[in-house]
Amino acid sequence: MIEYYTFKHRGAADEYKDEVFLRLVPNLTVAIFNGSKLDSPKSQSLLFSEILSSEEGRNGIDYLNQTFEECLDKDSEYLILRVEQKGIESIRKGDVRAKIVRQGQISLLPNGYFGLSSDDRIICATDNFFKFLTNEGILADALVADSCNDWMDMMVRRISDQSQLKCGNLSAVTLKLNR
Amino acid sequence: MFDYSILPDDTVRAIIVALVLFAVSFVFFIIVALYTLIKYTLYSNKHKGKLKLVCDVAYFHERGKRDNQEDSLYISPMDKVDETGFVAACSDGMGGLLNGEVVSKYVTDSLGENYPYKFDAQAENAKIISGISDRIYEEYHLGAGATLVMVHIFDDYMNFYSLGDSNIILIRNNRATLLNYKQNYVTLMIRKLAEGGLDTSDAYKDTRAKGLIDFVGNLKCNVLTTSRPLRLIENDIIIVSSDGVTDSMPLNRIVNHIHLDQNAAGIARTIKYGVKSRKNPRQDNYSAVVIKMKRSFV
Repeated sequence: MIEYYTFKHRGAADEYKDEVFLRLVPNLTVAIFNGSKLDSPKSQSLLFSEILSSEEGRNGIDYLNQTFEECLDKDSEYLILRVEQKGIESIRKGDVRAKIVRQGQISLLPNGYFGLSSDDRIICATDNFFKFLTNEGILADALVADSCNDWMDMMVRRISDQSQLKCGNLSAVTLKLNR
Repeated sequence: MFDYSILPDDTVRAIIVALVLFAVSFVFFIIVALYTLIKYTLYSNKHKGKLKLVCDVAYFHERGKRDNQEDSLYISPMDKVDETGFVAACSDGMGGLLNGEVVSKYVTDSLGENYPYKFDAQAENAKIISGISDRIYEEYHLGAGATLVMVHIFDDYMNFYSLGDSNIILIRNNRATLLNYKQNYVTLMIRKLAEGGLDTSDAYKDTRAKGLIDFVGNLKCNVLTTSRPLRLIENDIIIVSSDGVTDSMPLNRIVNHIHLDQNAAGIARTIKYGVKSRKNPRQDNYSAVVIKMKRSFV
């Protein structure tokens, strides 16, 4: 069973420059697009969404990444995670990252295929989300939280304590894989 | 300077022999000391991964400007650490309610009575804490209460338990992080405001929002606990404290004050005097257990 929770907040900015996409079939795919360095993030985000809906599931994640690189502005930043049978495949470009909590430790999820074990937890988010959090804080919240929703709420509380959520766009997805 | 000619020959000879013996034994001592140091360093480096992570522990327990000491600490016996792990807890009697000192003492005494705790039985341990809370509820019916923070360390791993707004702080790589979140209305307000896409400044304006939504003394309380233990590393510093410490000394100030090569006693002393030096006329009780993780042969 895969549990996930998505958080998106404008963070007192004029507009959304981030976007979170989820595809449930054929596999769960999470994509976060960050257009904070772009002049027209909306159009690039639409293009990203279009490519994702057209190509996702047909070809490998490397091909998808290649298509994004060809079609999107070079300052576009994104992360794509695809949950496979026994692991997770991920590709990222720019300041969008995924971190994995495993056996009481936290580490950055590398590009490529990564095997998963039961009770692993994953957080994908933009740099603006991570910048208010320490690894130890993310880890402690992941270990205490009963659900992905709880985990997100705890991290949002930490961000709020520092910025009162007036810090620009915040986009994140928490994932828990019970196998 | 000295005229040795007036000394008898035997005496001069005896002095020379004594000096030679001293020089020989001094050189021998230096050689043995250097050899031991080199061997120890080589052995430590070679077996670094195999050395056990042990707890260096110290505490302080201060009344501040209050009439009563409403903080209470619990530190488990150190002789069974290998079998059952190490437990430290801090309970802070709730301000504004009666019998704060009685309740916090009751909490830590009860924790002591239930020792030892199984390390991997977090739910069971949380149930014990919940049971303590229920007994306080039956006695005072929300007329008294306390917060509780407790850590359980076994080898390289730590579980923690929390009720209320006391602190479990982890200092790692010169950065302090509050591990447990505070169970107060601010948390609920932030959740609602964030869900509505609003900023959260309003949640911090209302001082009543700092009121606790859960504590020891509440019926069927929800104990925050780690479902899996957190991995500790060498030189981690864990501070289990009442809010009297962090009210006067925020986390970044604690990190700025302490030196990472200090032992637990030195860190505890630094924090204690750091709080004292703030000279807060309304200083709350301030207490903490400081744990520093060290690698050791023992």
